[in-house]
Amino acid sequence: MGLLDKLSGLLGLKKKEIHVLCLGLDNSGKTTIINKLKPSNAQTQDIVPTIGFSIEKFKTSSLSFTVFDMSGQGRYRNLWEHYYKEGQAIIFVIDSSDRLRMVVAKEELDILLNHPDIKHRRIPILFFANKMDLRDAVTSVKVSQLLSLENIKDKPWHICASDAIKGEGLQEGVDWLQDQIQAVKT
Amino acid sequence: MASGSGDSAGGRGESTEVNSKWLDAHYDPMANIHTFSACLALADLHGDGEYKLVVGDLGPNGRQPRLKVLKGPSVLTESPLPALPSAAAAFLMEPHEPRTPALALASGPCVYVYKNLRPYFKFSLPPLPPNPLEQDLWNQAKEDRIDPLTLKEMLEGIREKAEVPLSSQSLRFLHLELGEMEAFVAQHKTQPIRRQTVITTMTILKKNLADEDAVSCLVLGTENRELLVLDPEAFTVLTKMNLPSVPVFLEASGQFDVEFWLTAACRDGNIYILRRDCKRPKYCIELSAQPVGLVRIHKTLVVGSTQDMLHSFTHKGKKLWTVPMPAPILTMSLLEQRSRGLQAVMAGLANGEMRIYRDKALLNIIRTPDAVTSLCFGRYGREDNTLIMTTRGGGLVIKILKRTAVFGEGAGEAGPPPAQALRLNVPRKTRLYVDQTLREREAGTAMHRAFQMDLYLLRLRAARAYVQALESSLNPVSATLREPLKLHAVVQGLGPTFKLTLHLQNTSAVRPAMGLLVSCLYNESLYALPRAFFKVPMLVPGLSYPLETFVECLSDKGISDVIKVLVLREGQSAPLLSAHINMPVSEGLVAA
Ligand SMILES: Nc1nc2c(ncn2[C@@H]2O[C@H](COP(=O)(O)OP(=O)(O)OP(=O)(O)O)[C@@H](O)[C@H]2O)c(=O)[nH]1
Ligand SMILES: [Mg+2]
Repeated sequence: MGLLDKLSGLLGLKKKEIHVLCLGLDNSGKTTIINKLKPSNAQTQDIVPTIGFSIEKFKTSSLSFTVFDMSGQGRYRNLWEHYYKEGQAIIFVIDSSDRLRMVVAKEELDILLNHPDIKHRRIPILFFANKMDLRDAVTSVKVSQLLSLENIKDKPWHICASDAIKGEGLQEGVDWLQDQIQAVKT
Repeated sequence: MASGSGDSAGGRGESTEVNSKWLDAHYDPMANIHTFSACLALADLHGDGEYKLVVGDLGPNGRQPRLKVLKGPSVLTESPLPALPSAAAAFLMEPHEPRTPALALASGPCVYVYKNLRPYFKFSLPPLPPNPLEQDLWNQAKEDRIDPLTLKEMLEGIREKAEVPLSSQSLRFLHLELGEMEAFVAQHKTQPIRRQTVITTMTILKKNLADEDAVSCLVLGTENRELLVLDPEAFTVLTKMNLPSVPVFLEASGQFDVEFWLTAACRDGNIYILRRDCKRPKYCIELSAQPVGLVRIHKTLVVGSTQDMLHSFTHKGKKLWTVPMPAPILTMSLLEQRSRGLQAVMAGLANGEMRIYRDKALLNIIRTPDAVTSLCFGRYGREDNTLIMTTRGGGLVIKILKRTAVFGEGAGEAGPPPAQALRLNVPRKTRLYVDQTLREREAGTAMHRAFQMDLYLLRLRAARAYVQALESSLNPVSATLREPLKLHAVVQGLGPTFKLTLHLQNTSAVRPAMGLLVSCLYNESLYALPRAFFKVPMLVPGLSYPLETFVECLSDKGISDVIKVLVLREGQSAPLLSAHINMPVSEGLVAA
């Protein structure tokens, strides 16, 4: 890294670009979370189910994130794997109140973890146990239990309970992600 | 034996668990849901994209009927019903927004319609005219001209004979004990008697559009052997059709205003198919047993019967196939996987299996902890391919079909063997073949007779030869009951000296054989036997006695002959049995 680059990095003029995949079942709150992470003047008010995918950008103190916000609907889930190669981090969103589809979330996660483009990489995974404000929601501990997250041994992962509508829990998760990426790079 | 096979079945179910096509979303053995497939419906009742499950619950032992609405794994609302439910359905009442479906629940003589889960309308079947004789009796009771006992006797007489059945009031009266009658008459005599039938089955039929979410009419089947089609908004009777028997399962296709078919499986074991503009059934399919389930896939019908069979018919009643089931069928339903265009039949069996068939081919077996009594497949919550099953013990099982799951034919056990699909290379019909066939067709009887006659002659000759052999004791097994014996001879050696061993066995169960003799008859110029006649020791039952003798061949010409061995009884000239021994050629002499 040149001196100039370092300098501009410190000044926040040119930040490091990171590609993140945002995955999870439909209606889990992926778009709502990404929207909340954008600067308030860039946020949209009405969020509709994503068709295919959409590309969103937001910045943290030292990184510039490019997020592939994938659609979680069953018929679009086979698109996910085409972006695994480019992804440098994964945000996996779970609707903590959808008890019935927890098995489906687990199934999709297992397919993801066993994909050749993911399996042998130390790619950080951030889980959001979203919609924790709802009455039916289970705790993030219960979510990690239901998804058997303890079996992920070769990748750094972290789970945060979140409420994407109020924006609670999001910052904690993104901070963790930023630390992980910087730990790898330096 | 039964438990053994049960264990192995369980083992097989577990071993396939890893690559199962289903995800286990929920299982609650104590869900306390007691119902059958007709009383289950899935619908987006609140218009929020979260599909709910409607259950017309009979309650444990068929008491406490309730309407339950489930969201995910838990009950959202619950309310008591005045009578046992017979069917539940979700349907769109009007074409305007918001297009949230209404819920219809048939129970007793009424259909309760709910919108947004709030009671909206109650439809009652029109009353039927009461039996005039019965009416007359109750009028007399009203004026106290008849005492309760006579009333009971007269009513019983009507019940036995009359065409028009009694009203529920009279039927209840006939159930009462002597002491209760008076009070009942006093209480009910002023009320007019009303006869009402009940709804046995219900389904929905599109009104005038073929769209997935088109406005639909309710179609009711009644105990009075009628089918009624109701207007979706006004709930007036649009049309009425008569059936020869009471419908128990009902399927509808088409559109009411254009052309439609109604298929009713009835209690007389027949399936009637009705069309628009005909008040009577157009086709009739006769099952040899009672129907236990009816599923329509496009233009084919699949019916389950009490003979543990699945039958398939075209919508014109032509039989397509039959598949036997390993256990009685308890319930049936349709599985429709839209994303892959799959339509299949699900059948819950008494042995705890849930089988899925596409046509005759078994696609999948799900083993459940308890026999499944109701089945429903469709969008539930936000998942398209959800399977809901309730069990005999009141349990609730929810499974989700994996996104990656593909039902391959032959994945199951049975189904037609692959060889059945091979085309045989059938040779062309020759002239000779055609002539022969014609001849066979014309002279079939004569040919059969000639064949039969030859067959009888053959049997006769065989029988005669057998009798002759028995009479001359020419066979090595004696058939006389008093002396059951078996003889078996072995010749050993290359020659010129052979060893002849006769194995003699007494085959009777207990009696020893005594005083037997063996004599050998042979050509004396060819053979020499040092012992051609000897006594047999006492034969203990069951043991085989080897009797040995040497045979010397005298000829050096390489010829051989037969030696006859006779087993005789002392003092009798006819042999008990005999054996012909074909002697081998003496090789020793030929070589020398
Ligand atoms: N109560 C509550 N609702 C939430 C929360 N997060 C998202 N939602 C709601 O959930 C619904 C779905 O959110 P989306 O962000 O569209 O979900 P998605 O994961 O992007 O869905 P797809 O694009 O279809 O894959 C919206 O109505 C959100 O308002 C939350 O934390 N709490
Ligand atoms: Mg989205």
